[in-house]
Amino acid sequence: MSAHSKPTRSRREFLTDAFCGFGSIAFGAMLAEERARAGDTNPLAARPPQFPAKAKSVIVLFMAGGPSHLETFDPKPLLNQLDGQPMPKSFGAAKRQFIKGEPRLLGTRRSFKQYGKSGLWVSDLLPHTATCADELAVIRSCQSDAFVHSAAQYQFFTGRIIPGFPSMGSWTMYGLGSESESLPGYVVMPDPGGTIEAGQPVYSNAFLPSIYQPNVFRAGKKPVLNLDMPPGLSEAQRRRTLKLVHDLDNARMGPDDEEFTARLNTYDLAFKMQTEAPAVFDISQEPPSIRELYGVGNPVTDDFGRRCLLARRLVEKGVRFVVLVSGGPAISQWDAHEDIEENHLRMAAQTDKPVAGLVKDLKQRGLLDSTLVVWGGEFGRTPEGQGGKGRDHNNTGFTMWMAGGGTKGGTVTGATDEIGLNAIEKPHHLRDIHTTILNQLGLEQNALSYLHQGRLERLTEIQGEVIRSIV
Amino acid sequence: MYKEEVAIRRQPAQYLLKSVLPFVILGVLAGSDPSYTPAERRYWAFQPRSSPAIPQFASAADRAWASQAIDSFILASLNKAGLKPAPPASRRTLIRRVYYDLTGLPPTPVALEQFVHDPSPDAWTKLVDRLLNTPEYAERSAQHWLDVVRYAESDGYEYDTHRSDLWRYRDYVIRSFAQDKPYDQFLREQIAGDEMTTGSTAPEQDELLVASSFHRLGPLRKNAGNQDAAYNRNEVLVEMTNVIGSGFLGVTLGCARCHDHKFDPIRQKDYYRMQAFFATTQQKDIPMYKPEEEAQWKKKKSAAEAEMAKLQKSLPQMVGPERAAIEKQLQQKELELPEPLPALNVVSDEPGQFIPVHVLARGNSDAPLEKVRPRVLGIMLPEGAPELADDTPKPRLALANWIADPNNPLTARVMVNRIWQHHFSRGIVDTPNDFGRMGSRPSHPELLDWLANQFVSGGFRLKPIHRMILLSRTYQQDYLPVAPAVAKDKDPEDKLLWRYPRRRLDAEELRDSMLSISGKYNPKNGGPSVIVPIEPELVHLLYKPAQWAVNSDASQFYRRSIYLFEKRNLRLPFLEVFDSPDRLLSCARREASTHAPQALELMNGSFTHEMSQAFAQRLRSDAGPSAARQVDRAYRLALGRPPTPVERRTAVQFLKENPPSEFALAMFLINDFLYVN
Repeated sequence: MSAHSKPTRSRREFLTDAFCGFGSIAFGAMLAEERARAGDTNPLAARPPQFPAKAKSVIVLFMAGGPSHLETFDPKPLLNQLDGQPMPKSFGAAKRQFIKGEPRLLGTRRSFKQYGKSGLWVSDLLPHTATCADELAVIRSCQSDAFVHSAAQYQFFTGRIIPGFPSMGSWTMYGLGSESESLPGYVVMPDPGGTIEAGQPVYSNAFLPSIYQPNVFRAGKKPVLNLDMPPGLSEAQRRRTLKLVHDLDNARMGPDDEEFTARLNTYDLAFKMQTEAPAVFDISQEPPSIRELYGVGNPVTDDFGRRCLLARRLVEKGVRFVVLVSGGPAISQWDAHEDIEENHLRMAAQTDKPVAGLVKDLKQRGLLDSTLVVWGGEFGRTPEGQGGKGRDHNNTGFTMWMAGGGTKGGTVTGATDEIGLNAIEKPHHLRDIHTTILNQLGLEQNALSYLHQGRLERLTEIQGEVIRSIV
Repeated sequence: MYKEEVAIRRQPAQYLLKSVLPFVILGVLAGSDPSYTPAERRYWAFQPRSSPAIPQFASAADRAWASQAIDSFILASLNKAGLKPAPPASRRTLIRRVYYDLTGLPPTPVALEQFVHDPSPDAWTKLVDRLLNTPEYAERSAQHWLDVVRYAESDGYEYDTHRSDLWRYRDYVIRSFAQDKPYDQFLREQIAGDEMTTGSTAPEQDELLVASSFHRLGPLRKNAGNQDAAYNRNEVLVEMTNVIGSGFLGVTLGCARCHDHKFDPIRQKDYYRMQAFFATTQQKDIPMYKPEEEAQWKKKKSAAEAEMAKLQKSLPQMVGPERAAIEKQLQQKELELPEPLPALNVVSDEPGQFIPVHVLARGNSDAPLEKVRPRVLGIMLPEGAPELADDTPKPRLALANWIADPNNPLTARVMVNRIWQHHFSRGIVDTPNDFGRMGSRPSHPELLDWLANQFVSGGFRLKPIHRMILLSRTYQQDYLPVAPAVAKDKDPEDKLLWRYPRRRLDAEELRDSMLSISGKYNPKNGGPSVIVPIEPELVHLLYKPAQWAVNSDASQFYRRSIYLFEKRNLRLPFLEVFDSPDRLLSCARREASTHAPQALELMNGSFTHEMSQAFAQRLRSDAGPSAARQVDRAYRLALGRPPTPVERRTAVQFLKENPPSEFALAMFLINDFLYVN
């Protein structure tokens, strides 16, 4: 490093200055201003979590399109008995995006068994996940407000059914910052097949400053945009260029110009990322047994397996929030309108082994305690059939699960009615899922707020409940 | 001129209030309305503007400094806090500052030297007046307005359909700023342009219709399958209503959608009464294509659909990989369906399609409560003020006239505050979309009213307000690199303006500056938006990648950022990383963050790379082979000043041993380029 560089700071100072994006004056000013604007009710931005965190990182496994609870974790014998019959009126009316007229129920062709010491019910669609039964806290009573994809996906990630609000990853970054200096703190790995309906705004920092923005990884060996230098340029050359920038800036900079110093630090940090991050992305460094565990090498599971393995490597290095998406546009997602069997067998085959591999690998490395894994889609699927073999969207009762990060494995929370239409026992809105995720991170939903256009905005918008039975 | 406008303007105020509006703007009716507490009635933002006296000073030095009204208000506050204004900035500093403020671009070396060496005492005034009349001033001002109205050229949500002709609205906004159109007229045209066309010529009518695209700027959700008409309609009305509140009135109307506003005296019923002004408003798409284009489009569409039907038919017999292949093809075909034909997205008043507006319990369209009719905010009306009839002709014009009324306490304050903000990075109220209780109190309430009064009495023209601000001593203060201890202690955030606040260039300024400095800048004004090439992996992240149809003419890639296509689901990484807003919600004030991905974008991004190469070439052709001359030229182009001896020595040494494009890149990375002071 050049003699003109500022001396190395403590990690905390460094983070405040550079990675979290504000020079301390600017940061302090922002907080002071925030407090002034909020009448001193919005102090969390600067404070550590209010209570000790159980999880340091989160990995969200998003099954885009809406996986069926009826084919996975929520067995409904009555539904099979009523196969082909009109839906009994006693279950109530349901709003559907596509099903018209008087629908008929559709039984499942999956068979369910109990697994692990806990005896958790899992279908034969997910034989690998089933072997992790004792790690899973299954929530069978999830609910959300929208039954069309984009709106429901916005709610899954941002708490709102409209775009323009920060995602849970951005909120988490806002609350906790990042522990990694050489990697982005909030990573999204979309399906290489293409994007989901809600598009990029679903992962966005929205009105939070761009320091909390996601880093959306690209497919292939070079996931991070702009991490590679322009062709033909050597690292030594770039070091010289950055030294020039330091020299020229320092020649002019006033004493204690913290904002300028912070800006200058970002170049060093970026350079550090560019030299150190690629090694983290290189999963060929993993032994064959580990790659096999994730299904890397098998053409069906290779893609999702690689991404799961990368997620573990990122979390290991202190990355705070990782989103993995299974499913791109249209038929390449879990959106089984036409044929639930064909679709779910295909989608589960791609993801089941990698997901189980991830949970097991985190566990064997002692990382599962500090890593919260969340599995689910934007809604579940209807007990009514669509066009004979498919299922429409069902947002009033569906299943998600969490593992690790201080959650209680081998448990089932809540229940849907006898055909899996509505959550009737301990219903949990997505708000509760969000509240619980924040809770495991040591963040309290109301304290994690940001004043935007006259409202203290929160991930949960209005009060959510921590799902006490699983934490 | 629009006849209707003229008629309204020339009537005495009494006439306007009686005949156009049943509402009387009375401001405060103390204690007479049980619906509001006295504290609510007293809230500052709803009070009529005061006529503040310009502060006077005892000391001769103060009187000399505060010879203009703005300075008097500022100095009075500084004195009160025991602070002093900073000394005047140098001409070099000033010209770079005012160029960025007014045009968003750096001064050329020629303009700079001319000003620095202009011996005339009114050199500054001449410069300000010249810049206010450049097309770049209008573009820059328009950029700020487009942030507020969340202008984007696609629907958002999954289809993110492109709005092929919405750029006409962007050009309308630019033209309006160029002409210094009175703000009251500007807002009437946007809110009710389509209702104001009577008696105007065809081109005037077009302009008014384009202005009414204002109501079509927000995101729009569409879905396949069953349609929930009430839900969809409510979503559209919410978009139309909320932006009126944040954009024109500085009140967070949206907070009263689900319940009475928690902090401000806006009742839930007020919210739906505002929505009721749109009860007869329908979206209207005016075709912008020729018949032969339509024929071609239909042909393309039906061909794609026929192929899809064929594939669909073959699907049931397929299994395994064959089936997957067909499905993949099917998906591809679906994504290749042509975008809708070009159309101008406007609104029209359709009394025949009246849709009653109800208060909705918790904002839920499935839970309608009582029916309401149009009425403006109750806190600004006398007790028991009536609603308008459902069949009020031109309801949006009535709303616009109320907003534009010179006595409306909010409208002028909100707009002058925006102007102030763009010169000092912070508004007098530093939450420009929220003058309510959760927003900030004004730092200089008298100054705010004084400016708003000037604005109204000057016929709502913006340029005179800019001019007053720019000619003030307050604006021409130096940025003090070393803050006096007392100032740091008493006003660390510089709210009282004891120095000029330094700021980071915003995303568009950075991009446009690099274009300008490197010599690549294409100064063409107006016209359809440009889709520039970006990394294919990012296009691939679109739901319909085919939408990103890059312009065939490469010279267009170097247009100003305001002319680039604004797609909600694909933000240009360069702009996004430097805090360009997402255009999903109104953005009143941009963040100016500092973080490593910005550094990566500048160091390794393809745009900066191209600009550095071009800048290096330009230096060579402008300054010849001499490293010293190149360095000198680079400094003058990028920073508006010659290098200091230390800088010159360091840079020349570097340039002798390293690629010129790396030197050019360094000029884009240094703080003196990225910030303006």
